[in-house]
Amino acid sequence: MARNINRRDFLKAAAAGVVVLAGTQIVRQQAGASESSASGKRRWGMVIDQSKCTGCGYCVMACRAHNDISPDITWNPVLEAGEVGGNKVYLPRPCMQCAKAPCVDVCPVNASVYRSDGIVIVKYDQCIGCRYCEVACPYGARSFNWKQFTGPNPAIPEWGEAEVVRRPRGVVEKCTFCYQRIDRGLALGLTPGVDEDATPACVVACPVGARTFGDLNDPNSNVSQLLRDHASYRLLEEMGTSPSVYYLPAIQEPPS
Amino acid sequence: MKPKIRLPKITPWRIWVTVLALFLAAGATSGVMVFSKGLSLTHLTDLVPWGLWITIDLSSIAVSAGAFSLCAVVYLLGLKRFQPVARTATFIGLLGYTMAILTLMLDIGRPDRFWHPLVFWNEHSVLWEVTMCVTLYLGVLLLETLPIFANFAWLRSRWPWLAGQMAKAHRLAPYLAVAGLALSMLHQSSLGALYGVLKARPLWYRPDITVLFIISAVAAGMSLTVFASMVAVRITHRANVDDYLLERLSLIIGWILVVYLYFRFWDALAMTYTYQPGRTEGLHLLTGGPLSFNFWVGEIFLGILVPIVLLINRRTRSQPFWRMLALLLVVGGVVAYRWDTNVSGLLIVMSYLPGEPVIAYTMYRPSLIEFLAGAGIVSYGLLAFSLGVRYLRVVDHQGRELHENVPAREMEKVPVPASD
Repeated sequence: MARNINRRDFLKAAAAGVVVLAGTQIVRQQAGASESSASGKRRWGMVIDQSKCTGCGYCVMACRAHNDISPDITWNPVLEAGEVGGNKVYLPRPCMQCAKAPCVDVCPVNASVYRSDGIVIVKYDQCIGCRYCEVACPYGARSFNWKQFTGPNPAIPEWGEAEVVRRPRGVVEKCTFCYQRIDRGLALGLTPGVDEDATPACVVACPVGARTFGDLNDPNSNVSQLLRDHASYRLLEEMGTSPSVYYLPAIQEPPS
Repeated sequence: MKPKIRLPKITPWRIWVTVLALFLAAGATSGVMVFSKGLSLTHLTDLVPWGLWITIDLSSIAVSAGAFSLCAVVYLLGLKRFQPVARTATFIGLLGYTMAILTLMLDIGRPDRFWHPLVFWNEHSVLWEVTMCVTLYLGVLLLETLPIFANFAWLRSRWPWLAGQMAKAHRLAPYLAVAGLALSMLHQSSLGALYGVLKARPLWYRPDITVLFIISAVAAGMSLTVFASMVAVRITHRANVDDYLLERLSLIIGWILVVYLYFRFWDALAMTYTYQPGRTEGLHLLTGGPLSFNFWVGEIFLGILVPIVLLINRRTRSQPFWRMLALLLVVGGVVAYRWDTNVSGLLIVMSYLPGEPVIAYTMYRPSLIEFLAGAGIVSYGLLAFSLGVRYLRVVDHQGRELHENVPAREMEKVPVPASD
């Protein structure tokens, strides 16, 4: 008899425990969901309109100058991506600043990390140059400094001035969404994506306004509005990386 | 009167050491050049960032797997009679892991920061886990080989007390065997998981490489140990073996290869079933493309099928020539497997553009510097093993000091060497 009661008590306690655990789990998830939107945490994103992009490559050069990148390396290439209605379509490819970035997961020394605003950065002082992140990135967004970049940067001063220090030989680098511009801009009270001085160089340089930059967590930001009003896609969404770069596809205009 | 110049006598040993020293010097020169000029001296690119050196790295760790597996056989399964073979394997393991670390130092862009994984932890990273395990296991191997280094005649005469203390580390052997087994199970498999966790590379993104890496490593590690022992005993009187032990192990290797073949068969077959972008092309590189000779001849036919027959069939296994050939083929096959695994995944360049996936191919051929540095590292391993056989008696199935842990009744079976 005593054994029975014990067992029943045990089962009751266990059931109660399961319910409590499940409850806390739900509560915790809700807390997490409300936190990100209510606390005003920013998540920088970029929207690239392929119907506007002409493939001029201004963004590539501006990026090279402002980030003082070696001519051997491109953080932000512009690729040809087929044709629509007889017109060539281009696809500029910055770092996707993934919310679930494979490069961050694989780095053996925690040199690739998320900033609180969602930008994935490489800590150049910490990187050992194993290149595992290069192998892991589905977008080929990372470049290794096979040699030291010495001498003048051919993109300077025509396309802008260097805003960051050159990376040493032997470390990996990639597009940073020009966080130096964002951070300085915010400190000056500017709004990234609205004020040019606080916006990534490629966005500012684009002569046709194909690039838009802003806070994806702010429903009123220009990027959020664009994404609300237009059909968009991201690269390799099935990979589960959750990129912060969105593309508005070039669509053939209906014959009039 | 003409003064007599005494030229050093040319002996096979001296020729061997000189040749190895030359390769070592060439490798060291290449290494210095890489450290000063950087990795632009290699033919590695952003598309193929891992090449020959990663293969040497993976292979030297794979062929070191005899250490943990034979120590487990001796101390955990309790087959004490294999202890002298485990001793050889442990020494080879120490050399293999130091080779791997040397290669890694060349391969990483910032060798001055080699210690970063130990300080800046990223527990999500398979490579971090591998680095930690390899570091810890190197410590295990150092402790395991202390009694071997205690064998050095110079040390014994110069610092007999120190040599005695080092020999006592043997008491730790059973605990070290447990630690070694755990650490090796982790990182030998994780070296495969290094590739297997990468979703961006469909050819690699499967759990199988993990299992295949550890099975093939055990086969190759045991093979190299038995092969090296057999070569040593045929070249120098400073080595002696109990051929019965080596013959038994060779049979076990044969059956491990059967298991390895079984898993490889299903792994490969599963990939042929449906078209998957990137994976199918990668498999075709192996089965019909530029890597097909490596795959069919090197890995499968010579690396698995032929050794299975030679090692399981008693007639060929008992003939030293065929047995040694089979063991060497196993090692070669596993090295080919490491090379093919790495290169096949990297040569496929997946597009990330929207629409139907487009597959492009890239090229990789190691540069002279990569070959020379690699040859230098292999020469270091060969030279260190040769010195070990000569001065530390690492291939010695009759030595008495080894058997401290063996119960007395088994000691009696060990014949005492007549003379040194």
